[in-house]
Amino acid sequence: MELLRQTFWLLWKDLLLELRRRESILAMFFFGTLLLFVFHFAFEIPAERAAEMAPGLLWLAFIFTGTLGLTQLFQAERENHCLEALLLGPMDRAGLYLAKVSFNLFLMLLVELTVFPLFWVLFNLAFWELLPSLFLVALLGTIGFCVLGTLFSAVTLKARARELLLPLILFPLMIPVILATVRGMEIVFRTGQFEEALPWLRLLLGFDVIFLTAGFLVFEWVIEA
Amino acid sequence: MRVVVRSLSKSYGFLWALKKIDIELRAGECIALLGPNGAGKSTLLRLLSALLHPTTGEIFIDGQRLSQGSSPVRSSIGLLTPSEHLYEGLTLRENLRLFNSLYARKKSLQDMEEALNTVGLRRWSDDYVSSLSSGMKCRLTISKWLLLEPKLLLLDEPYGVLDGSGVDLLESYVKRLCQSGGIAVMATHHISRILALCSRALILHQGRLIFDEPRQEPWESFHRTFAEFLPRGDKWSS
Repeated sequence: MELLRQTFWLLWKDLLLELRRRESILAMFFFGTLLLFVFHFAFEIPAERAAEMAPGLLWLAFIFTGTLGLTQLFQAERENHCLEALLLGPMDRAGLYLAKVSFNLFLMLLVELTVFPLFWVLFNLAFWELLPSLFLVALLGTIGFCVLGTLFSAVTLKARARELLLPLILFPLMIPVILATVRGMEIVFRTGQFEEALPWLRLLLGFDVIFLTAGFLVFEWVIEA
Repeated sequence: MRVVVRSLSKSYGFLWALKKIDIELRAGECIALLGPNGAGKSTLLRLLSALLHPTTGEIFIDGQRLSQGSSPVRSSIGLLTPSEHLYEGLTLRENLRLFNSLYARKKSLQDMEEALNTVGLRRWSDDYVSSLSSGMKCRLTISKWLLLEPKLLLLDEPYGVLDGSGVDLLESYVKRLCQSGGIAVMATHHISRILALCSRALILHQGRLIFDEPRQEPWESFHRTFAEFLPRGDKWSS
C-alpha cells in the first residue's frame, strides 16, 4: 500500500511537470508524425501487402518515438540533483520505477492514439474495424517496451553519451517484444481474428511479466549504482 | 541518536578521498566539519547520508547499519545543500507536499504553510521554484527539513547564498535540532560563524581526520591545527 502511495505521488509529480513543460509529449508526437510522413513518401503499401508491411512500419515509428521519450524520462531528476533528493529519502525505489513506467506508458499511449489513425489515413488502409484489436496488441508491446526501456534508461542515466548508448543496449533486448508484437499484429491484419494472434499475445504477456518483475527487483541496484 | 563511523574510506578510482575515518557522533552535538578544498568534507557528508557507498568501513545509526536502498533509518537523515534537491517546475507548496508524502510524514497543508511562513516564503508558496533566487531556494530547503524533521542533519556549505536573516534562521534551526537531541554536521569555510555555533570540530586534511575535539575556551589546539593545515588567504575569515 505504501509502495502504491509513493508511486502515485511520483507519478503526480511527473504528470504535473509534463503538463507544464510539454517537452516530451510534443517532441514524441511531432517525431512520430514526421516518421509516418517519411514512411508515406518512402513506401507505397498496396492493400494486399498491408498485413505484411504495416505492423513493422508502425512499430518502427513507436520504437523510435518511444526511445526519444526514454532519453527524457529522468530529465526532471537530472536537474538540480533531484534524483539525490529522492534517493536520500526512505521511499521504496521500486515506487520510482513503477511511476516512471506508468508515466512513460501514458505518453506512449497518447502518441499511439494519434499515430494509429494517422497511419490509416496516410496509407489509405481499409480495415478500420481492426483498429481496436490492433491497438490491444500494440498495448501489450508498448508495456514491454516501457518496462524494459525504463530500466535501461536508468542504467544509462549517468553515462556520458546516454542518448547514443540507450538504443544500442535496448534494441537488441527488445527483439522478443518487437517480434511478438509485429507477428501478433500481422495475424490480426491478415485474418481479422484477434483469437488467431493469441499464442503471440501470450508470449508477449509472458515477456511483459518477466521484464516487469526483473525491473521491479533490480531497479534499486541500478538507480543507486 | 548515536552515529558510529568505523574505518570509513572512500576512493574514486585511484584517488582516496577519505582514509580510515573513525568517529562517533552523539545526540545534541553540533559538529563543524572543516578542511581545505578536496579534504573530503562533501564525501563524508554523502557517505553519512548513504548517497555514496563506502569503499571500506561502516556507518551505524542507532545501532542499525546504514546501507544504500530503501531503509526506515533514512527518514532520520537530512542533507541540506543550498539551491539543490528541489523540482524547479513545481511550486514551493507542491515541492513540500511531494517530499512530505514520500517521507510518509503526516503533515497537513497548514503545517506546510507554517513551515513556509517560518522561512519567510509564504507569499511565494504558489510560485515555481525556478523563479526563486538562490537564497530563497536555500530557505525553501530549510523549510523542507523543518517539515521532515530529520534527527541527523548534514549541511554542505549552507552559508554562501543566505542573507543575514537567512543565516539567523538556519542557525536557530540547527540549535533547536541539537537541543532536541538531534545531530547537526556542517561543512563550511565560514570559520567564525561555525565556531560560534558548534560544540565539536572535526578537521579533515587530504582525506584523513587530523583533529577531533569538543569545543573549549580557549581552544588553543584548534587554532594551532587550523593555522597548520587550513590554507589562509589574505582575507581569510577567522
